[in-house]
Amino acid sequence: MRTIQETLKNDIGGLCYHNRIILPFGAHFLKVIVDTDIITDFSLNSKGVFIREVEDFTDVYFLDYKDLNNSISKYEAIKMVVVEKGKDIFDFNNHLKLSLYLEEKHKVKIEECDHDILFLE
Amino acid sequence: MYGKQFIPMLMVIIFFLISVDSLTAYENVSDSTNVTTAVTIERGENEHTLPPVYMVIPFVLLLSMIATGPLFYRHFWERNYPKVAIALGTITVIYYLAVLNDSHSLLHSLAEYLSFIALLGSLFVASGGILLRVNRKATPFVNMLFLLFGSVIANVIGTTGASMLLIRPYIKMNQNRMKPYHIIFFIFMVSNIGGALTPIGDPPLFLGFLRGIPFFWVIANVWYIWLPTLIVLLIMFYVFDSFNKGNNNSDTEEYSGKIEFKGAKNLIFLAIIILSVFIDPAVLEWVPSLAPLPFGIREIIMLAVIYFSFKMADQEILKANEFDFEPIKEVAYLFVGIFITMIPALQLIAHEANIHSDKLTAGVFYWATGGLSGFLDNAPTYLNFLSAAMGKAGYDVNVKTDVILFVNKDVIYLQAISVAAVFFGAMTYIGNGPNFMVKSICERAGIKMPSFFTYMIKYSIPILIPIFVVVWAIFFR
Repeated sequence: MRTIQETLKNDIGGLCYHNRIILPFGAHFLKVIVDTDIITDFSLNSKGVFIREVEDFTDVYFLDYKDLNNSISKYEAIKMVVVEKGKDIFDFNNHLKLSLYLEEKHKVKIEECDHDILFLE
Repeated sequence: MYGKQFIPMLMVIIFFLISVDSLTAYENVSDSTNVTTAVTIERGENEHTLPPVYMVIPFVLLLSMIATGPLFYRHFWERNYPKVAIALGTITVIYYLAVLNDSHSLLHSLAEYLSFIALLGSLFVASGGILLRVNRKATPFVNMLFLLFGSVIANVIGTTGASMLLIRPYIKMNQNRMKPYHIIFFIFMVSNIGGALTPIGDPPLFLGFLRGIPFFWVIANVWYIWLPTLIVLLIMFYVFDSFNKGNNNSDTEEYSGKIEFKGAKNLIFLAIIILSVFIDPAVLEWVPSLAPLPFGIREIIMLAVIYFSFKMADQEILKANEFDFEPIKEVAYLFVGIFITMIPALQLIAHEANIHSDKLTAGVFYWATGGLSGFLDNAPTYLNFLSAAMGKAGYDVNVKTDVILFVNKDVIYLQAISVAAVFFGAMTYIGNGPNFMVKSICERAGIKMPSFFTYMIKYSIPILIPIFVVVWAIFFR
């Protein structure tokens, strides 16, 4: 499994199929914002999101959305606070803010949050 | 992307427009694209039967769903609010066309709605192409100055323009210490109360201006109510904010103190919007009226600004602002439902106000206009109570000379109505268009905003109502 830093450094994108985002890294998720939904419950009982990590990627299903392309404009991002696996989750310096932009042909651009993007942890 | 979702709204608008026989009646009484009130309809040649009280049900239902939807059935509401708003609006439309045979009231509401959404939409899109960066450390004092600046500028670019322009730098400045009260006070002051000084500030005052109230009447007669109200709110905010220590990370950050501004060409678009509000046959005689069409040159200019300011906007700025049409789409759908379903409510209120006009004091006008402005759109509420107040003095709101005579004779009534219509818009998320937009932007930034009821119970009732009671006791009792 790639690390988040590898993904960002090599500009590796993710994929999006309807309500499923496929991320090319593994991570601990702390907060996800999609549209006006602020999701912090990542337990198995979560009604908003289901995360499944497999060997080479991580699946994130947004259960309240049929198709993310209908809810997210090209200027808008799905935002998430994540921590690299193996790093101290309690150290705020390890908390990474990512922006995911949905592009054509199911591609997802993954960036570290720009300074201008409003995203409060 | 949103094409399919706009079809139901277009259908309702077309539904309005196909009542061709009424267009002639509309033309006879309309000297501009703006509304006349239900009360004047009853006075004039085009008398219409009042709706029964049960026709208020769609309106009450819509308000209840706006209040409870995001709380108890959020995702159903998010997916279906356009259908709910359109369906409830359609009930009122059918009743007015088929039972009351009154398409006149519907067309007036449509004209007012188009005017409202063109102004809001153009300010939203034009300000979305502007990026303001304020690299300063947020302190209670800096925040207070920021809110004061926003309240003043709201009188120049409207509460919508000021809210859209300033909410992002305000959140950014406070990102390490952001709490819901920051946003609530922003809504109180920048999105509502601040804009009480000029007809550009808030739509009801603009409707009054179109009726003949002099442009500078508001500032001359409201500033001494506006200023102490604002000072009290600023002091309260300062006290709240002084207890907020934020998180420790903020102390390590360095601030340049710089204020950066990007997207200057959109300032030209903002100027065009502001100037276009005056392009109305009621203000400038040379402006042609497009009646019987339910819009005028002004609305065409504003719609053109939406198109061109979006097309010409810097893509990087749109990305930085995470520009999305969703907040304005939400306002457009909910308010098309509100504008239509509130017609019976406003007509019944205006009727009752006329019957009991001799008993109506300035205080009653203040509380009635305010109470309704918190939940209905404040522009038609203002007009209905202005009509009732003028009727009480024997004047007609549709006659410009009458309005001028009324302005000079009974200042206190107009003061009460003007202040209440603007101030009480801060009472709920639906009291004024920008309230909803600010809420939506904040949620997208990760700020958990209070629900409809929490906003009222925790903030607007305990903070604003005591202030409004004092305003009433000093100025309108």
